[in-house]
Amino acid sequence: MSMVETIYMPSENDFRGKTKKFNGVQNGGKISNGCHKKTKQVDEETEKAWEKDFCETFEETPMLAAISTYIGYLILVAVGHVREFLKSIGIGVVKCVAEPKIPGFVPLYQTWESFYSWYVYRRIQDCFCRPVSGVPGAKMVVIDRESNDHRWSFQYTGGHSTVLNFGSYNYLGFSQNSGPCAEEVEQTIKNYGVSVCGSRQELGYLDLHKQMDRLVADYLGVEDAYTVPMGFATNSMNIPSLVGKGCLILSDELNHASLILGCRLSGAKIKTFKHNCMKDLEKNLREAIVDKQPRTHRPWKKILIVVEGVYSMEGSIVKLPEVLRLKKKYKAYLYLDEAHSIGAIGPHGKGVVDYFGLNPRDVDIMMGTFTKSFGAVGGYIGGSQALVNHLRLYSHSAIYSSSMAPGVAQQIVSSMNIMLGRDGTREGEKRIQQLKWNTRYFRRRLQEMGFILYGNKDSPVVPLLMFMPSKIAKFSRESLNRGMGVVVVGFPATPMTKCRARFCLSASHTKEMLDEALQITSDIGDLLAIKYSKAEPPSYSENDVPLVEDS
Amino acid sequence: MFRWGAKHPKPLSLITNFRFCIIESSHTLITMNIGTATSEENPTHSYLGSRGIWITYVLILLITHFMLLTIPFFSVAVAWTLTNVVHCVITYFMLHVTKGTPWGTPEQGKARTQTQWEQIDFGQQFTPTKKFLTVVPVAIFFLASFYTKYDTTHFCINLIALGFSVIPKLPQLHGVRIFNINKW
Repeated sequence: MSMVETIYMPSENDFRGKTKKFNGVQNGGKISNGCHKKTKQVDEETEKAWEKDFCETFEETPMLAAISTYIGYLILVAVGHVREFLKSIGIGVVKCVAEPKIPGFVPLYQTWESFYSWYVYRRIQDCFCRPVSGVPGAKMVVIDRESNDHRWSFQYTGGHSTVLNFGSYNYLGFSQNSGPCAEEVEQTIKNYGVSVCGSRQELGYLDLHKQMDRLVADYLGVEDAYTVPMGFATNSMNIPSLVGKGCLILSDELNHASLILGCRLSGAKIKTFKHNCMKDLEKNLREAIVDKQPRTHRPWKKILIVVEGVYSMEGSIVKLPEVLRLKKKYKAYLYLDEAHSIGAIGPHGKGVVDYFGLNPRDVDIMMGTFTKSFGAVGGYIGGSQALVNHLRLYSHSAIYSSSMAPGVAQQIVSSMNIMLGRDGTREGEKRIQQLKWNTRYFRRRLQEMGFILYGNKDSPVVPLLMFMPSKIAKFSRESLNRGMGVVVVGFPATPMTKCRARFCLSASHTKEMLDEALQITSDIGDLLAIKYSKAEPPSYSENDVPLVEDS
Repeated sequence: MFRWGAKHPKPLSLITNFRFCIIESSHTLITMNIGTATSEENPTHSYLGSRGIWITYVLILLITHFMLLTIPFFSVAVAWTLTNVVHCVITYFMLHVTKGTPWGTPEQGKARTQTQWEQIDFGQQFTPTKKFLTVVPVAIFFLASFYTKYDTTHFCINLIALGFSVIPKLPQLHGVRIFNINKW
């Protein structure tokens, strides 16, 4: 089991918390959240057993689709250049973006930097940033708008469309404005007010926050937890208090911008390894330990591996058993960002650690957000008591930002109580199983239809590849017309040949809604000819996921 | 929100003529979400190495060449020389004159003064993309010399085109601006 040294932060920070030694045995070897601790002697076979159930596909782009994509972009850029030239000689100037030529003033827009935004992105701008109203639950209300000047500007038509919502992160379906959570939140706002108006270290620490921290720690199965009112800031403001100059961060290629910002702000040296590639990670670890710091060749003070549980753009799940094995072998620390995996995967909904059946005490720093699964905002960091004590004293968000609003804290407390089953119903279990069933069913049916999907079979984020920018635009518009709202992403947010639509499944989607969505997707797929997949039909199915019936 | 002014010292001689401003790239960032799906901050670094782009490049070249060959006024030699020259001019403008990116990047204008060529693969030399892009003009030169039957006029034109294609791609000329042309 992990030794004391690997959990505590170095003594130069002079933490004043209680130093509690942990030797891994509590409650007779069982951790209270239901995860069982793995015994020390694990065979090779059981160690590799997770690989048999791990099914991830990233099918290669078909060459013809790639070539068509490049020619498409070439045509768009060529036409854009022609328009730009005509604009410079005065033909075809658009009134609403034309700049008044004031003598002595520099032009507002540097034309090359706005080129893509004006001549490529603008043409499909109606597919992005659509205004919605109301609660984004299983269905959402999109406000209609139209454009009279080729999408330079939009006007509201006055109508609304209620469409199936596959664009919001709402994994467990807590995005509701009625129900037990909403009632408790209303009561809490009446008791505590709307905001706390103080930082954690100065009168902003309510009993509600204490209850929330304790609940999060129980949910994850760690010693203690610390919550932050903003999800992005949980990463960007807390990584700098954990690592600094003289440390090394090994971060996955596809980490989120908040992790990258946090790593940069810390001042540590950053090395990226190929996405989810354990061989590359091991190679980097070995090189780091042998070569040490670049100029002085002193050993690194700390090596921190930063990975995410579920990567939202690819739908892949991190190979956590392998990462833990490497972490223990080379004595590095692990920072696991479970923004998209907490609540969404795992038999008890406890994230990627639960999914693989591992011990949550093995992960040094478990971070996550409440935004996606719990219908709230903010994030948490869970780990050992010493870690959380250190963060409570030294984290930027504890000192400078106000603590979480009481209403939000109550939402988290209520939803976590439901998920843990502490409200007496089986609602939490029902939601987890429904999400799992939805994921498997949706993915299986889409793959059988012949679409190229990325990611793990259990990931509730389903990227559907379309490759060409015009196709993502048409997909978005057609599906809105037919009653389904999806998010589409293109270049430059994704690599040039990997434009995609992304479905985010939810426990609040019923089978009928999924069938309707599948029918719409299939129709549009035939229309656009995006059923490129040449892989064999999937071997997994939703039948081995038992659903909890309403009692 | 816009910011005026220089991020780096402006050369005195160009202040009066040169006008530029730094727009807050957050506008294009937020709307277009560059670099959120990958950790690639500036897609210019890597898009020339993506799958199928070399084939597309050669394909476009072939199509242009065949279109030039179909014009009845041009002999084979003229068509080849014209292919070479047109290829050189277009790639010179795309790779060595165009600076910066057509979108605002999260790296806040680090690449604004760099040409496309200097941005490829973060400025590393001798990467596969750069080697391929250097070989193509040379191959066209050989083919053009062969098809023009080594005629002197054609040879001179092709050689100048080759010079403009290959010399800016040399690693010694990375970041070099002759006579301060195209510096900012």
